[in-house]
Amino acid sequence: MAAEVCAAIDVGSYEISMKIYELGARKGVRELDHVRSRIDLGSESYATGRLGTGHVNEICGILNEFCSVMKTWGVTKVRACATSAVRESRNRAVVLEQIEKRTGIRVEILSNSEQRFLDYKAIALKGTEFEKTIEEPTAIVDIGGGSVQISLFDRDKLITTQNLRMGVLRLRERVNQMGIGTRKYAALVCELIHAQLSVYARMYLHDRVIPNIIIVDDYISPILQKKKTLIESGLIGEEHADLPQGVVSAERFIGFLASVPTESQVSNARNLGIPLENLPLVYISGLIIKCIAEVMHTETIWAPGVTLCDGIVYEYAQKRKVLATQHDFEQDIIASAYHISGRYKGNRKRSELIGSLSLGIFDCMKKIHGLGKRERLLIQIAAILHDCGKYISMMNLGESSYSIIMSTEIIGLSHRERQIVAEAVRYIYMAFPESAEEESRSEMDDEMRMTVLKLTAILRVASGLDRSHMRKLTDTDFHLKDEELLITTSTTEDITLEKELFGTRAAFFEEVFGVRPIIRRKRGMK
Amino acid sequence: MSKEKKKNEPKKAEHRDLRDPAYYANRELSWIAFDERCLYEARDRENPLFERLKFLSITASNLDEFFMVRVASLKDMINAGYRKRDIAGMTASEQLAAVEARVHEFVEEQYRVWNRMLQPRLKENGLELLRSYRDLNKEDEIFVDRYFDEFIYPVLTPMAVDSSRPFPLIRNRSLNIGALVTKKGGDGEMEFATVQVPGVIDRLVELPSEQGRRFLLLEEVIRRNMSKLFLNYDIVCCGAYRVGRNADLSIDEDEAEDLLKEIEKQLKKRQWGQAIRLETDEDIDERLLKHIRGELAVEEQEIYRIDGPLDLTFLMKVYGLDGFDDLKEHGYVSGQPVPAFREEENLRDIFARIREGDILMHHPYETFDPVVRFIEQAATDENVLAIKQTLYRVSGNSPIIAALARAAERGKQVSVLVELKARFDEEHNIVWAKMLEKAGCHVIYGLVGLKTHCKITLVVRREEDGIRRYVHLGTGNYNDSTAKLYTDVGLFTCEEDYGEDATAVFNMLSGYSEPVVWNKLTLAPLWLKDRILMLIRRETEHARSGRPGRIIAKMNSLCHEEVIAALYEASSAGVQIDLIVRGICCLKAGIPGVSENITVRSIVGNFLEHSRIFYFENAGDPEYYLSSADWMPRNLERRVEIMFPVEKETGRRKLWHILETELADTEKAHLLQPDGSYTGVDKRGKTILNSQRQFGLEAKEQADAVSQRDTRVFEPMTAADADDH
Repeated sequence: MAAEVCAAIDVGSYEISMKIYELGARKGVRELDHVRSRIDLGSESYATGRLGTGHVNEICGILNEFCSVMKTWGVTKVRACATSAVRESRNRAVVLEQIEKRTGIRVEILSNSEQRFLDYKAIALKGTEFEKTIEEPTAIVDIGGGSVQISLFDRDKLITTQNLRMGVLRLRERVNQMGIGTRKYAALVCELIHAQLSVYARMYLHDRVIPNIIIVDDYISPILQKKKTLIESGLIGEEHADLPQGVVSAERFIGFLASVPTESQVSNARNLGIPLENLPLVYISGLIIKCIAEVMHTETIWAPGVTLCDGIVYEYAQKRKVLATQHDFEQDIIASAYHISGRYKGNRKRSELIGSLSLGIFDCMKKIHGLGKRERLLIQIAAILHDCGKYISMMNLGESSYSIIMSTEIIGLSHRERQIVAEAVRYIYMAFPESAEEESRSEMDDEMRMTVLKLTAILRVASGLDRSHMRKLTDTDFHLKDEELLITTSTTEDITLEKELFGTRAAFFEEVFGVRPIIRRKRGMK
Repeated sequence: MSKEKKKNEPKKAEHRDLRDPAYYANRELSWIAFDERCLYEARDRENPLFERLKFLSITASNLDEFFMVRVASLKDMINAGYRKRDIAGMTASEQLAAVEARVHEFVEEQYRVWNRMLQPRLKENGLELLRSYRDLNKEDEIFVDRYFDEFIYPVLTPMAVDSSRPFPLIRNRSLNIGALVTKKGGDGEMEFATVQVPGVIDRLVELPSEQGRRFLLLEEVIRRNMSKLFLNYDIVCCGAYRVGRNADLSIDEDEAEDLLKEIEKQLKKRQWGQAIRLETDEDIDERLLKHIRGELAVEEQEIYRIDGPLDLTFLMKVYGLDGFDDLKEHGYVSGQPVPAFREEENLRDIFARIREGDILMHHPYETFDPVVRFIEQAATDENVLAIKQTLYRVSGNSPIIAALARAAERGKQVSVLVELKARFDEEHNIVWAKMLEKAGCHVIYGLVGLKTHCKITLVVRREEDGIRRYVHLGTGNYNDSTAKLYTDVGLFTCEEDYGEDATAVFNMLSGYSEPVVWNKLTLAPLWLKDRILMLIRRETEHARSGRPGRIIAKMNSLCHEEVIAALYEASSAGVQIDLIVRGICCLKAGIPGVSENITVRSIVGNFLEHSRIFYFENAGDPEYYLSSADWMPRNLERRVEIMFPVEKETGRRKLWHILETELADTEKAHLLQPDGSYTGVDKRGKTILNSQRQFGLEAKEQADAVSQRDTRVFEPMTAADADDH
């Protein structure tokens, strides 16, 4: 394959950045260029919920300049993503349309979980140390302008991810409003961080020790990347020389941070190439890491120096098969779905059964439903979370499940995908609205409605096959013949209940796919 | 305690304050010492006569620039009431007084050299320059008067001054003739009149001559014909005068909406800055002088009464006269082919050659042509996507500019940083900037408040195995004319680390944030000073721990206090430091306990020493760096500069050889003495060596060796051979 040059753009809260990469079979992913333009979109968007004309003009100006940088490299493919600042502005649709009209660049909005998942993918794909690190309990701490995402790994699987509203810009704004002096600055910032962190620790850590944390941020990571300078300046010891780039002991890091406000650190900042105006944000970012490291009893901090742009291009490279990885990212999403289900006392065994039945039907019906690999993942997630709502109400299972799913971060899923899962689970239990008009609460467009409809139909049949919750149909085959979906089971259990109550679900399935599901026992069984 | 006494009785090393002003020389006086070294070359009988003329001319143009910028800046400081003392502990007023006293002596010496040494020798060699129109014979007089009527008179604009006609604005550095005149038949009241000697006419007016060549200066021709300019007046007296003005631009970049327009506006003002020097004929009429002096508001010490022709820069024109080749220097070789680019196949593809390995070039001994060809080839190569370059000073009709414009017209992405604030090249650069913009280049003017002085070119090329970056980094400007006269070093590389950094440099210059990490390059003003200090201090640490520590640094000027203090500290710790500093050097060598391990030499030769090469011994693991920056506050703190390492063995060997040879120069090196004076090298027991000549010869030998290797000998086929077949 000839090398392809592509660009990834991140329209962030305080910076728009672009990276240019070359993707080739021989050299893999190679970064060619990285340009960053500072623009404080976050302040306006977080405060007013809008982005004004001034900022929109500025974004367009920057993106047009990016276009000429792209020409320098002969870029043929570009993906531009916007994060919280644009996401949280109410006039985002207008903003995005303006941008596309004036620059030719279509900017898509990433949900928080998609954004963090891309960051995470970048770590896993760029950092060679990743697989080794997550053998031990590890947290990825992804520090943004508005919030911090903490994702926990246990036994090399991503188990949970939480979003804490204590991003660097947000903290700075809050502390600045208080107008306190330098002396109390650190203590106050730490107090604000601990207020949220203590709740998090109680809910999700339970005194667990997390020996490694992996940092994704814009302030501390660049510094930790400069190992040679750090050693030369005496900020880290010679013993770090043999450690991978960006790795520092937590103890050293905390020690280094304690000395930051002193005068000599200003000259250190210059040594490290930190622009002086960035110092407060570097400091806050450092304090966030320090507090988290203390709560988790961390030993090692690793900043692989990845950015969202890396995540964007690594995902693309993975799709193009330029990049091979040992890590199965789908398994991370599934593992975190199980973790959510566990939190709401879901029945894991039933979830697994419904999952496998749903996938059996999904795969068998592939030609008919026309859905892809991604929807296959969504139906798995839906199966895992199919009963989470019972934690709140056995009566309103559909509504409760929907609410839980919609308010829970599922790392790796976009907002839209999460909604598909939530709607599909909801309509396992509730009547599917006949038309969009009928479904007033839903924001589903026609395409989403169709996807949800298909997934619901499959899930209903799968759920119906375990109507008794007794997991009778563990050994089941699916076969599509003419206009029938033959569900053949070799179970010896009594499946009268399942058969009797199957009618409505089968009718709905037939209505959706034009195929009638029929339960049969294997020959020779009654 | 007086400063002198302090100097003579140094304190014990362990208690020394290395920032003590007694350990530093004033930069302005050090600059004058440099011009004195140039003047030494004009005086040196070992140099051919015409080369001595050239050196004298250079001293004059140097002095002009010194006044326009440095003296002007001292005056500005005094006017603004700036009381801070300089590195050597002097206030601006003290400096100005010292500078003016020393320049008066210097100018006297310049004219002593001219009147007593050079002018008589020229005459002996068949070139006579008449001092005054009064020295003309009858035949000459007829000739010059006719010449005046036909060629000079039409372009003159005589101006009289009276109550209705104010004193005209006398342009900076223009030569003028002032006169006191009285109206014919009037009451005898004297009026002032003046006429500018036109710059458009050659200042050397050649007189008819049967033997040898004879010249009279243009101003003398005008003086002889003054009465023709003021027909209704009687000329009481007249005399030549020349004004030097403050020519420093004051641009508020933050306020300037369009930097280019703002600079154009300021340039116009430059002609009319405050007068800070008045040169007049030695025997100018006192009444006339009083009038001029009053109008220009110059003080007594700012007046230079000249025993000879004003403005000796005309001697460069004399140097250019045909027919005196035997009086010029021919012993220096330059412009030799770079061995790496010699082979025929490589001439076609400069990129292929760079891919084979880094190429380090030493100009002007090795030709600058590959750099021009690099841009030219990039402009037409269909695989080249983009060219990015910084331009500080370029030549007139620069082939590089033409190639960049061509590249843009061919649809390549061309980004050019034109430094509009390059002193005295501003106008020139505005023209190029506009031309490049018109051709479709993306012209950037750099960062607010900083001059972009680094010399870097990046070519992005799409190749079979992906994108490749080719980088040229140098110590000298992309100026094919000065590259023939200045010694500089340049590096071609396509190493990825340098390429990534080069991309980051242009991103920064375009206003994007700095990169997260630099691989090889160190940039001023953010990091370079600290890096240099770190490198010096590392040597100090090595020496203190008993490991070998040595620094050899070659540059144009050294006057950064912190850097000098670090060098003193290194010297005190036992680091051997050899500095090759062509111009200003505020460091004092040989102070016991402070700088006794430091030597400073200045090489003033046929070519202008311009390269910046730094060597750090690093306990036996030496590091070599090249840079666009001198160790001066302006370079390290107010300019965008680059320092880059040379890591490939061939390049390092070449740099070592340059430094080693210059340290062994016995002919053109001047050694700085503890008293601040410079003396020649004591040649006893040393091999006589002129480093510039030596480099030229070596470049030629290497080029010849490659050329011979490439020459294939074709044996003609003989009849006997033909019979065999």
